[in-house]
Amino acid sequence: MQVYDENYAADRAAIEDLMARYLFALDYNDMDSFIAMFTPDAEFEFARGRVAGVANILETVKGFKQRIGEHYKAEDGTPATLRHVLAHTAIRVEGDRAWTRAQWFEMADDGPGKSLKMGTFGIYEDQLTKIDGHWLFSERRIMNEFLPGRESGPDNPIRSMDTAAGA
Amino acid sequence: MTYASDRAQIADLMARYLFAMDYLDCDAYAECFTEDGVLDYARGTTVGREAIRAEAAEFREAIGRIFQREDGSPAKLRHLVQHKSIRVDGDRAWHTGLWWEMTDGGPGGALKPESFGIYEDELFRADGRWLFTRRKIYNEFLPGRESGTANPVRAMANAG
Repeated sequence: MQVYDENYAADRAAIEDLMARYLFALDYNDMDSFIAMFTPDAEFEFARGRVAGVANILETVKGFKQRIGEHYKAEDGTPATLRHVLAHTAIRVEGDRAWTRAQWFEMADDGPGKSLKMGTFGIYEDQLTKIDGHWLFSERRIMNEFLPGRESGPDNPIRSMDTAAGA
Repeated sequence: MTYASDRAQIADLMARYLFAMDYLDCDAYAECFTEDGVLDYARGTTVGREAIRAEAAEFREAIGRIFQREDGSPAKLRHLVQHKSIRVDGDRAWHTGLWWEMTDGGPGGALKPESFGIYEDELFRADGRWLFTRRKIYNEFLPGRESGTANPVRAMANAG
């Protein structure tokens, strides 16, 4: 069980900031900022598979971004403007390690007449490590409820988080 | 403990609550409430953690009939909490927060926003852990469950 000590708020604030910076980097195609958020040996898992190490993560995410540009198009055929949105986030902290389970959804301007259209939703399952005072992702798994085989659950994801953290 | 510390812990409770709810984990859901906690929502008012555990099990059975995909299969339902106003006074706290919900029950299996409302909560710190003593869930789409026209944060400021 998480013991909420006097450091929890500071760690949580820093991790929430990292998760916001991640989404801005992703949606604004800032790959230098994006890759700086991972530990050197981090693992990254999403619809296209699982890769380890920042060089492989970078290559994979560039391919992912390219595919998004091809997949998400406004009615006139131009690439849509896509935004990932983070909602509630459970954060478990144990010393220099942390875990999250967080709800995300995405939206774009690819509805009729370039209107807002909601895309998909899913959750993040993260492990983080504090290195030199900075929290970084050591593992990020991106689950998407709209992609067969990539759905989260059916068990409450909080239970696997607490188990990973030593319950 | 500072306000930031209490707020961080209450935010974590809010997230754990929603994961328990959406993944139909009745035990984890009930554990978010104090022993004498009260849940007041669309299906009625339930008093006490054990009664809330039983209510969560009934909700688990009912929800697949309420939210369905085009083909009649149970839709995936997700609740989200947005901005949270939190007042802390010692071991008591109050929360007013905006929630909304979405499913995969839209046309062709698309994402469908379903409804929104607010939470009005009272919390108590028991053995170093914040829990709900009362959660009232308003839904602006259910006649009789709307939050009303008065700023709910005023009621929170005057509580206690």
